[in-house]
Amino acid sequence: MSAGEFWDDFSKSKTGLVGLGLMLAFVLLGASGELLVPFPGASRHWRDIDYWRDNPLAAPPAWTNAFVARKGAPSSILTRFKAEKETRDDGVGIETFAFDYPFAYDRPPRDLIVRVPGSGRVPLVIWLERPDGLSAELYRDQVDLSGGGENRVSVTRDCARAAIEFVRSRDEAIADTMNADLIKPVAVLFAKAGSGNLDAPTPLKGVYEIKIRALIVSSDFSVGRPSIIVSGQVSGIMGTDAAKRDVFTGIVLGIRWALVIGILSSSVTVVAGVLLGIVAAYFGGVLDWLLTRLYELIYFLPVLPFLIVISAIFKPSIWVLIAIICAFFWTGSFKTVYGMTLQIREESFVEASRALGSGPWRIVLRHIAPMLLPYSFASMALSVPAIIVYEASVSLIGLGDATIVSWGQILESALTQGAVINGLWWWVIPPGLMIALMGMSFAFLGTALDKILHPKLKTR
Amino acid sequence: MYLKFALRRIGYGILMYVAMIFIFSTLFNSVADRTARAQIDEEVAQEAGRLKNLDEEQLKAAVAARRESKLRQYHLEDPLPGRIFWRSVRTLSFDFGNSTIMKASDGDRAVIRIVLEALPRTVVLFTSEVVIVTVLGVVLGLYAARKPNGFFDRANSAMTMITNGLPAWWLAMLAIMALSYGIPVFPSGGLRSNPAPAGPAGLFDYLWHLSLPLLTLVALGTWSMAYLVRNIVLSNLQEDFVMAARARGIRERKVLFGHALRSSMPAIMTIAILGLFGSIAGNIIVEGIFGWPGIGNLYFIAVQQNDVPVLMATLAIETLFNMAGFVILDVVYGLLDPRIKAGGRA
Repeated sequence: MSAGEFWDDFSKSKTGLVGLGLMLAFVLLGASGELLVPFPGASRHWRDIDYWRDNPLAAPPAWTNAFVARKGAPSSILTRFKAEKETRDDGVGIETFAFDYPFAYDRPPRDLIVRVPGSGRVPLVIWLERPDGLSAELYRDQVDLSGGGENRVSVTRDCARAAIEFVRSRDEAIADTMNADLIKPVAVLFAKAGSGNLDAPTPLKGVYEIKIRALIVSSDFSVGRPSIIVSGQVSGIMGTDAAKRDVFTGIVLGIRWALVIGILSSSVTVVAGVLLGIVAAYFGGVLDWLLTRLYELIYFLPVLPFLIVISAIFKPSIWVLIAIICAFFWTGSFKTVYGMTLQIREESFVEASRALGSGPWRIVLRHIAPMLLPYSFASMALSVPAIIVYEASVSLIGLGDATIVSWGQILESALTQGAVINGLWWWVIPPGLMIALMGMSFAFLGTALDKILHPKLKTR
Repeated sequence: MYLKFALRRIGYGILMYVAMIFIFSTLFNSVADRTARAQIDEEVAQEAGRLKNLDEEQLKAAVAARRESKLRQYHLEDPLPGRIFWRSVRTLSFDFGNSTIMKASDGDRAVIRIVLEALPRTVVLFTSEVVIVTVLGVVLGLYAARKPNGFFDRANSAMTMITNGLPAWWLAMLAIMALSYGIPVFPSGGLRSNPAPAGPAGLFDYLWHLSLPLLTLVALGTWSMAYLVRNIVLSNLQEDFVMAARARGIRERKVLFGHALRSSMPAIMTIAILGLFGSIAGNIIVEGIFGWPGIGNLYFIAVQQNDVPVLMATLAIETLFNMAGFVILDVVYGLLDPRIKAGGRA
């Protein structure tokens, strides 16, 4: 069958085309994932708490705003600012950066984080100018920007006292009752003045201006481009998890591993199964006996229990896990190939080739294997879903490779960190859906290939 | 002739089972050795505590002798192949010994008691799942086969494709999230409420706890079962005897139920029976998520706590049932279909 004929047949199968489309999308996403996700370093830092600390904790996806009455401010990064630079007579440089933050939500962000890169010891002043004309000083301190310090000011963490002072400037009595450890500084600062800043602040909508002033006291010191991270009530396409990680990033990075696990183990198992099946059936004898016994042994073994106990003993890396999966799954195509080979062996063209003096390996590789190739492609695609589910299952119970970002790993942390109990559905639904979708695309492809390429129809 | 075939098949199954037990005991050999030695030390220390009227030297000698005899009794001083052999023999004779950590609900440490306590719970959940799925699958599959490529048939195929790659435990997580915490209709897990109500209310309580896991499993399993039934029935509908029946003017309903379904029954029963025997193993993760203390859960706790005797027993029993299913089917088929026992090679 030529490639053109094959494509003619294939393009008639709707499910096959859907499967192919999904597959291509997965491959593209898997290959370019690092460029698409909002956190490009995530695959190296998935379990690094520091990497994720600017994100909100367990925030729902941003689009949930469309379905709730009180809209929450989404996460974002402010990078555009107006910069002013002047030099005082005594040689001290003053740099001012002004950020606009348009706030039009019912719930203020959870935190605002000001990041200032640079070098040297730099006195920083940060203040907020509100739409109602009031202003509040947030921060005033000397910061060591170069010495491996944090160069990061979190309003929630560092500005509680500033928020109380802001309230005091208008109402001493309320300010005296406020506890710096209990208030939410962002909520207080983003509230209408005098509207119960203590208990239930009513947010004040409008454009806020956050200004950063840095004093450069020495020519060795400098300040780079600052940015402000808005840690929102809602975040990203799929929200964040209980470790502040962006779920969408994890989902996209998981594609790559699902593809690697699925394609690698299915190709190894099918190639092994087909070759061993041919060898057993064609050569017969002791080899046949041994392989058939081995096949039966593995066939009767309870796979998941066995996989779990082996994982518990050996704590395998993902590659070892793939190898173990292969050791179990080659039996899937063995028996079918065995039966087919017994038939093909008796075909006249094989006999003709034998009469012409071909050795057994030549017959196996040149005549029998190519006839089984189409079958093996279909069977390869059809075996992928189960393999992906097995990896996810082993990961879910905490025995998988904890250094990769796979959907099973994401679900494992969701299960152990209470996503089910706390109703963090955006953490549970996407990974499982992706497992199902990936399985579906392979199943669609496999059934389409099976219909077109089935060797029973092609032997004549 | 048939008797010879049946005996050979059964004998072969037993041989296979023995081989697998040997594999298991080789795999767990070093951990099992350690466990057994620790157990003996504990026992001997307990016995020594009861020995009163002996001086220190005599006590030491008595302990050493007792320990020695125990070690010999359990063949722990044998070389490696001997240890594996004797452990396999004990497992094969259902002598699973005592667990290291896990206990039955009354505190008994005999592994066989622990396993027999968990087994009925798994049977209640998973065996009833297989029964329900088979019945629903036959009904839906027949319905789909009546109009191939009709709306229902396509919907069913689509559901099969979707559920095919869907982990049951994920659906379980969703079900708990939605129906135990979101809208609290069902309990989130466990076997019964604490404290469990007495009398008929207790039975109701049990069924109430059973329903969410059962619903989840059935919701996932039914579609592929229906798809299988549909395929089997459809292939039979293309047989000559169906065409002959139709040509005789027999009503389509009767053709479907009387001819196609009847001739499909052996294949459907095969799937159901294998499912029934396989269901004994439960599902490790689904049981864990629903807190259903069956065999799967037992196995997983045994893995986590490194309780090798329980692990071995569970694996052995699962494998035994699995194998028994295949052998019984083969033997029954040999009885029904003479071609099978005549045909030489698999």
